[in-house]
Amino acid sequence: MTSDPLSPEGPPAAQWRAVSVRYPFAGAAAVGPVDLAIRRGTRVLLLGASGSGKSTLLLTLTGLLPHSIPAKVEGRIAIDGVPIETRPPSGWAADVAQYFQDADRTLCGMRVEDEIAFALENQAVPVARIRNAVAQAMEEVGLPEAWRQRRTATLSGGERQLVALAATLVQNAGLFVADEPTAHLAPVAATRLHRLLTEGRPDRTMLVVDHRLDGLIDAMDRLVVLGPDGTIVADGEPRAIFREKRSLLAALGIWCPAAGDLDEGLARVGLCAPVAPLSVADALAHLNPETAPPEDLARARPIVAAFVAKASAEAPAAAADAPVIAALVGADCAPFLGPVVLRGVSLSVRQGEVVGILGANGAGKSTLAACLAGLLPLKSGVREGAKGGVAFQNPESQFVGGTVRDELSGALPRRMDNDERERRVAATLDQWGLAGLALRHPFELSQGQKRRLALAMLTITDRWPLLVLDEPMAGLDAAGAAALSARIDDLRSDGRAVAVVTHDMDFALRVCPRSVVVAEGRIIADGPTPDLLADADLCARANLSEPSSAAARRWLQATKSW
Amino acid sequence: MVRTLNPLSKVAVCAVWLVAAILIFDARFQIGAILIVCIVLVALERTSPLLLLGLMVPFSLFGLGFLTTALLFREDSAFALHVAGESVFGSPAASAGVTLFLRAVACGMISAFFALTTDPGAFVRGLMAHARLPPRFGYALFAALQLVPDLAAEAQQMRLARAMQSGRVLRRLPGPVEAGSLVIPLLAFAIRRAGRTAIAMEARGLDAHGPRTIMAVPPFEWRDAGFAAVAMIVLGGLIVLCANM
Repeated sequence: MTSDPLSPEGPPAAQWRAVSVRYPFAGAAAVGPVDLAIRRGTRVLLLGASGSGKSTLLLTLTGLLPHSIPAKVEGRIAIDGVPIETRPPSGWAADVAQYFQDADRTLCGMRVEDEIAFALENQAVPVARIRNAVAQAMEEVGLPEAWRQRRTATLSGGERQLVALAATLVQNAGLFVADEPTAHLAPVAATRLHRLLTEGRPDRTMLVVDHRLDGLIDAMDRLVVLGPDGTIVADGEPRAIFREKRSLLAALGIWCPAAGDLDEGLARVGLCAPVAPLSVADALAHLNPETAPPEDLARARPIVAAFVAKASAEAPAAAADAPVIAALVGADCAPFLGPVVLRGVSLSVRQGEVVGILGANGAGKSTLAACLAGLLPLKSGVREGAKGGVAFQNPESQFVGGTVRDELSGALPRRMDNDERERRVAATLDQWGLAGLALRHPFELSQGQKRRLALAMLTITDRWPLLVLDEPMAGLDAAGAAALSARIDDLRSDGRAVAVVTHDMDFALRVCPRSVVVAEGRIIADGPTPDLLADADLCARANLSEPSSAAARRWLQATKSW
Repeated sequence: MVRTLNPLSKVAVCAVWLVAAILIFDARFQIGAILIVCIVLVALERTSPLLLLGLMVPFSLFGLGFLTTALLFREDSAFALHVAGESVFGSPAASAGVTLFLRAVACGMISAFFALTTDPGAFVRGLMAHARLPPRFGYALFAALQLVPDLAAEAQQMRLARAMQSGRVLRRLPGPVEAGSLVIPLLAFAIRRAGRTAIAMEARGLDAHGPRTIMAVPPFEWRDAGFAAVAMIVLGGLIVLCANM
């Protein structure tokens, strides 16, 4: 599919012509052939399943691929009509700000203020202007002044993402390219990021890859979808694509806005929104409880109620008399060889229970999770129960094998029959959508595939009665997320306990009947997830945002009398 | 106090002291150098003595190699034995070995003085601004300096993952087998990290050519001259004192 013809007002801000990329020793092209032109001032969202080549395509834009990352790139790429070969990748920094999926590819390991200033230093911007720009970028992104002298390596994953964002925004380039900018961000930080991306210069061209669509999608002018073979399968106005090609996107395992399900349900009773909705509020805008015909409201209610019920945890909360699998009593938790970050934590997880651990970036969620699993010793207090397995935030830390198959095989007990081992590995590869990648090196996988492998390694064995998943949704496409939800449900049914650290409120609401909220150096709330996320004061205190179904829940309350 | 000095004046002073520690084959000089640096770090910089002891472990092990070599292969170190024989230590072989051991520790202590009191970023910026170090080399050096703490953090993460897999309790320090098993993965991490840092720097415009701004260049001030003068006077005094004892 060829996209967006050349506009009469000048050359496109970015253009790929018959571009395809093949990595060394790879059997097939990672992406392409792609023909894509992006006009100046447009905001484009690039979607695709994990491994469809989105990140690869972005890396070709300034020539980092193949200049710095070996690959064979065919076709022609131009920025503002200038072929990219005319400059080295560094020569495009004034025109293109690149925010990579992995914060380590954006940051250079300096102190926070040096990181933010670095791109402007390279452009020989005067010192006074750099100082002002750094201060402004820190304020916009919400970085505390106290972070200025901190090294980025000492920050949490989400905090590093915020610094990386400030470091790219400060470039104030005409073309901003962002690859999964919200993957590790807490909801409030993600909302702020979406605002920053969309409220900046009106003439700025944006190309964004992200799985978290709510809050971002309504600011996008255009949607481009890459298929599994790395070619463009849909291109156009987001509302139209999400309504007309919904089944195609679902079949490819690509995220759609949560409002799509509600829109589809309302369409079945002849009440779909006049314009394809991108948010739940959009989907219900024409059904205003005060002005819409009562019979329409009555017909819509069961659909909305079903939507709200589907968005909430289907699994029942664990029985009060179910055995406790792991418990912390009066625990002071600290990272390995680090200072105490959480004090007086008391938390128990019962058999068959799925508990969400929610909180802002840097609140201490990962530390709590590792202490709950018994992986980190407590500074004081007591931990009771069996040890748990942890899927770490950075999946690469778990990989030791030479291939995906080796990783899975190594996670199984040593004394296992070979046939049974092969059977379990094959079944797990299928279950997590990794079947075609069995012989690939784990580090060659995309971020979403790495995440799936790390989760598969943890769930392939029955050895842990408690599983702790740290940001399992980061980098996952819709198919991966569905597989994860299903697997968590299986684990719960098998009587295992699961703790999920997540910034995705929709996911927490869907899979965790109970959650704890971490803030102010302790657990500030513990209870049913729907109740916690409906508490506006609590969410504000812990920097959480409401789930996308909240608008539907409010609508149901407003139409109770119908 | 020492932290606020220009890194280049510190590196120059440390280089002179290192050369002196290498050339002056006298255990008294080495002991004096170790004590002076220790006192400055503990008294002026509030450095933990335990941290200093920990940092000296690898240098001590290195120095022990000299000591055992000197004791076991006396015939091969006739010149060293001859020189060491003039010192206060009784056995010539032991004397030469002890001096070599102390020299390794003194060099380690001087290096620790620089490393503990210097911000790597300020050092690199100083080199680029005052010593015309090309930015590409400067930031490569900077990345290499930053890699050390990052390797430690990554090693901790790997140890956590392995402790989970093996079901063992995580110890504060890894045993020899565990440490050995971390070498290859950490080397792979270092290579990956270096590649990612190079991409990050290139994407944000680091270029070999053209003008650039260097922020927060550490200035040369009178206190740098004062520090260098005091350091040279102390060094001279120590040499004279050792020669006259």
